[in-house]
Amino acid sequence: MADRIILACTLVLAGVYFWATAQIPSLELGDPLGPKAFPRMLGVGLLLGAAMLLAEIIRNTAKAKLTAEQGGESTEPKWDRHHWLVVAIAVWTAIYIVIFEPLGFILSTAIYLMALTAYFNRNRWLMNVLTSVLFAVISYFMFTKLLGVNLPPGILPF
Amino acid sequence: METFTHILNGFVVCMQPINLWYTFLGVLMGTIIGVLPGIGPSAGIALLIPITYGMNPTSALIMLCGIYYGAKYGGSTTAILIRTPGEAASVMTSIDGYEMARKGRAGAALAVSAIGSFIAGTIGVIGLTLFAVPLASMALKFGPAEYFTLMLFAMTAVSTLTGESPAKGVIATIFGLIIATIGIDLQSGQARYTMGIPEFQDGVGFVVVVVGLFAMAEVFRGLEDIYRGTSAEAMKITGKLWLTKEEWKRSIGPIWRGGIIGFVIGVLPGAGGTIASIMSYTTEKRLSKHPEEFGHGAIEGVAGPESANNSDTAGALVPLLTLGVPGGGATAVMLGAFIMYGVQPGPLLFQNRPDLVWGLINSMYVGNIMLVILNLPLIGLFVRLLYIPVGILYPLIVAISVIGAYAINGSTVDLWLILGFGVVGYIFGKLDIPVAPLVLSLVLGGIMEQSFRQAMTISGGDLKIFYNSGITVSLLVMSVISIALPFVMPMLRKLGSKGDES
Repeated sequence: MADRIILACTLVLAGVYFWATAQIPSLELGDPLGPKAFPRMLGVGLLLGAAMLLAEIIRNTAKAKLTAEQGGESTEPKWDRHHWLVVAIAVWTAIYIVIFEPLGFILSTAIYLMALTAYFNRNRWLMNVLTSVLFAVISYFMFTKLLGVNLPPGILPF
Repeated sequence: METFTHILNGFVVCMQPINLWYTFLGVLMGTIIGVLPGIGPSAGIALLIPITYGMNPTSALIMLCGIYYGAKYGGSTTAILIRTPGEAASVMTSIDGYEMARKGRAGAALAVSAIGSFIAGTIGVIGLTLFAVPLASMALKFGPAEYFTLMLFAMTAVSTLTGESPAKGVIATIFGLIIATIGIDLQSGQARYTMGIPEFQDGVGFVVVVVGLFAMAEVFRGLEDIYRGTSAEAMKITGKLWLTKEEWKRSIGPIWRGGIIGFVIGVLPGAGGTIASIMSYTTEKRLSKHPEEFGHGAIEGVAGPESANNSDTAGALVPLLTLGVPGGGATAVMLGAFIMYGVQPGPLLFQNRPDLVWGLINSMYVGNIMLVILNLPLIGLFVRLLYIPVGILYPLIVAISVIGAYAINGSTVDLWLILGFGVVGYIFGKLDIPVAPLVLSLVLGGIMEQSFRQAMTISGGDLKIFYNSGITVSLLVMSVISIALPFVMPMLRKLGSKGDES
């Protein structure tokens, strides 16, 4: 099943890429190939990859049928029920990115870390709050003052 | 003779106090990165590039290289004490290493990996020293057509050799090349696939892609493991941190053989540390007088793979330094680093910057000595890292990745990219799509397109230029073989077994 999804996505990607390549205005001056030739080759390469995958799917289905007939277990991986957790972390990280510049590095990072550690390192409140705040403050000053990396100050005055 | 002076001069460069300091910093960070789950050498190198930007390139590269081979030392510690490789190539060590630790011989397992890594790592650097100049002078004759076919071979080998499915490897490779075409086309000045986002005009930086695919995706996987309650506890170091005479006798052969296997595999594109350590493991099992002990704490099963895994790094630097074409994911990140510091690796580098090349190569002799000290008498310090609760460690890795990505341009677009590629890397992991080919083709994509177009300009648009010389023809043939082999092999095997039956 998973392989079929990859196959579908690959074909869609190839289609979109061919379409986007056609949108590039051509100005072929001196360069015999222009900016579109290499991308077209890549599109063909992607179709070739899709064909290889199709061959593998056919071979694997034949194999799976054989093991099923012999009473063997299916090798198809089970769809995990915990994927929503990853979605939640990704959404929380997206919120972190949204508040990163307006609130500044120290505040946004401390808030982001406190919530994540509160969930994944439960019941150790003191340790979690201390690490979150200290990491945010120390890394801010280390990177901005010592290493010359710019991090957003946000609403804090320093 | 001239080369000999360059090599000696390289020792002068690498012994300068500033470079000794950066070697030390690199191998120290490498060991920490190797011990900790979550950040591997690729992400570690990528995160440091924006911070070391503007440093003198020799020192910066010495440090990044130190992270690369240092991480391999640290990876074995985690493999032995928690049975999860801290770094992918240590996977074989986690079998017998962990069994040794359970039997109270953790000290011996750690000692043999550190000593084996040191001996084999040094064998690897000697190999690199010997092979670099002949290969580089051969590569001087390479034109754009030769380079194009060489990169094609590196990519096909990597895409079919990493992971279970060659088709998925090919798709990942092309996906990386497609990302590489985003941005302004260098020859026509035409913007391609920028979707109206001004930040995309310079292209999608490989740093954000690597940090997303390697660090962020690993955080997602790690947090998922905590939620499921499958995270493992670290064992205590038991037994003396040294080998008995008997253990030493059993280990020395595997160390030498592993060192040579690792170097050879490392030079070839595609295979890399994981395959080197698997090959060493199976070799030792076949040669052993008591193969039944393998899997139940045989010291050869730690000594061989761990040595192979470490000389592999020096081997992998051979094509990167002499040809300028990396053969795997981590060396591709190194190439990206070289280019960001304005240094183009390849045959000309040996002529124009012998101080940099030999300073870098010779720093690896020094770094290996530092690593054996860090990983033997001082191993207790690093083991403490394993007691950091993972529920704190993984969130901190996100914050560190955010700092590194924001440091590049000071733009939140790069933060969205690391998050996006983190999700992509997580999904790829679940679907068994390898990410190393993607990183390789992303870094090489721009150069590959340029050399293709230069070759076509030279030939006036005639494809003949790609099969005119012996070098291009043999590289093309090897590319076709590496794509076709996974499909032809099962058929050949079937034919063979049918022949046996009749």
